[in-house]
Amino acid sequence: MQKMFANLFGSIGRELLSFYRSEKFYFVLGAMAIGAIIPLFVSDYVVGEVLTPMIIFTIYASSWNLLAYSGQGSLGHAAFLGIGGFASALLAIKLGVPPIFGLFLGSLFSAAIGLLIGLACVRLKAWFLAMVTFGFSVIIVTLISQFDTVIGGIMGFPTPLLVERGLPFYYMTFALAAISIFAMYLLMKSKMGLAFRAIHENELEAKMIGINTAKYRLLAFVLSTFFAGLAGGLYAQSIRYIQVSVFDAYYSFLPLMMVVIGGLRTMEGPIIGSVIIVSIESYLPRIDPIMQGLMGPLFPSVSNVGPPLRMLSLGLFLVIVVVFLPKGVSSLLYKICNYFREETKEVNKLEGN
Amino acid sequence: MSGLVETLLWGVVNGCIYILLATGLNIIFGVMKLVNFAHGQLLMIGAYVAFTAATVFGLNAYLSILVAIVTIALIGAGLERLTFRRVLGTDKLNEIFVSLGLIYVFENVAVLLWGNKLKQIKSPFQGLGLSLGEVSISYDLLLAISVVTVILIALFVLIKKTKIGLAMRATSQRSDTSMLMGVNIEKVYIFTFALGAALAGAAGALYGIIFPFNPSIGALPTIKAFAIIMLGGLGSIPGAIIGGLLYGIAENTAVYFLGGIWQDAIAFALLIIVLVIRPTGLFGEKGE
Repeated sequence: MQKMFANLFGSIGRELLSFYRSEKFYFVLGAMAIGAIIPLFVSDYVVGEVLTPMIIFTIYASSWNLLAYSGQGSLGHAAFLGIGGFASALLAIKLGVPPIFGLFLGSLFSAAIGLLIGLACVRLKAWFLAMVTFGFSVIIVTLISQFDTVIGGIMGFPTPLLVERGLPFYYMTFALAAISIFAMYLLMKSKMGLAFRAIHENELEAKMIGINTAKYRLLAFVLSTFFAGLAGGLYAQSIRYIQVSVFDAYYSFLPLMMVVIGGLRTMEGPIIGSVIIVSIESYLPRIDPIMQGLMGPLFPSVSNVGPPLRMLSLGLFLVIVVVFLPKGVSSLLYKICNYFREETKEVNKLEGN
Repeated sequence: MSGLVETLLWGVVNGCIYILLATGLNIIFGVMKLVNFAHGQLLMIGAYVAFTAATVFGLNAYLSILVAIVTIALIGAGLERLTFRRVLGTDKLNEIFVSLGLIYVFENVAVLLWGNKLKQIKSPFQGLGLSLGEVSISYDLLLAISVVTVILIALFVLIKKTKIGLAMRATSQRSDTSMLMGVNIEKVYIFTFALGAALAGAAGALYGIIFPFNPSIGALPTIKAFAIIMLGGLGSIPGAIIGGLLYGIAENTAVYFLGGIWQDAIAFALLIIVLVIRPTGLFGEKGE
């Protein structure tokens, strides 16, 4: 209880101080050091095709996680990823906005659309909102196809160059991701974050203690769509091309899977989830020929059993995580850490005696 | 003119399939307060089961509906026991996550077993139809409408007149109290889920007779069935029936007047507008 009040009145400065003093600080420092050093030792291909998407999807998954903090869920987050991507690219191409401003204007545009959608559906329950957002991602595809002469989204178009690809782009994305995630961390430690948590725990009770639940749910939605838009702008940059396929349901389910597998409503969950999923998607296709040799004769109706088997195991993995490990892989890591800490404590005790 | 009449007829047939799916979802939601996003995948598996029964075992297409109903009911019971029961009553989002995982599982199992190509169940009445002046109505459409009517009447009798129906209605109102009154709610849950799944299986078999299908057809019908439930009100079966018919007709009329790319968007636009005006749905009760 005391801790709750301390949080409630705690300013950002105090948060920073307590963060600096906590153990987490060293973990974060370590993770950032790893993220900064690894790209220097791997090939350009890995930096461009594995590490950069990892970072971008970390932002994207974190944005989804921010929404989940307030007890809401979206099944159409790809709409905002796509809007961010399209808006930032179109601003740069059609209006000649410098790409770096285009990136932020695109995110703001995505947040503005998020505000409109949010205004319409903050009153809805979790699964209603999920449906509406999914519906919106379908409508957006239709609209872009309808106005194809202006946008040119069906065939797609190359995006303007922001930073040289490879290492420079990686470090820029890395910096943006670090800033975004740190901003979300501070947000969740602030009064606003406390309101989000309260709404998630029990909306009625949150309302009773005077939290304007509609306002905070809308805020969560707008902030989440802002970061999703930012991820979209970066994603369009990283693949150097944008097309209407960015609105596919696949991209809507991706952040959800990352967050759930990594650890729902934790800061490290989206990062762990993104690392796991992107690695699976980048490296598992390599065993396709082996799988085809082993399992192919069993399923004669498919020419390559690799992709369906991979998706099947991903689905099973998701179900198993939700059923048996509801707090995600990050909780497993904590358990392992705690186990070792207990061990060292006992060893110390023995040595002391 | 004849074009419009045919459009309306197709709307009714589409609507019938949506009604089965939406009613199944609605029963599950009403009794268990569970949202199953993988419901459309049960439809898809139902279509494939009926297809296998019809082609491999040479069963009549309309008899294969029964095979689909039984198989999907069993799959549904298994799903409830193995996955949903474990997350029921925890975080609401967990149910959504489990069903999303199941979507991946079902779609890819179907790809592995039956391949990616479009298939269709061969009906004995293929190409035959009633001709009324300019309009010709195929027997398959008429049969589909009658099958759905029979299923809905049977469902009505089951819910209103039998003991398990009574238990389901009691559980949907107050699960704790009905448990105290001696209702085995675990049994009710498993029965309810199997019943909802069976309806999806029937819908799938009918879908397979009327339309060609592949493993990825399940996603959109689920979303549309949810839209219908929201239009008709959560937990209300008459609402689902009226909503399903209206939705099927609206969708086909939109395609007729505006063009194919609007088929999915117009429906969602309608849904969003309704939800903005009435967050509980057109016929929904206050409080949910």
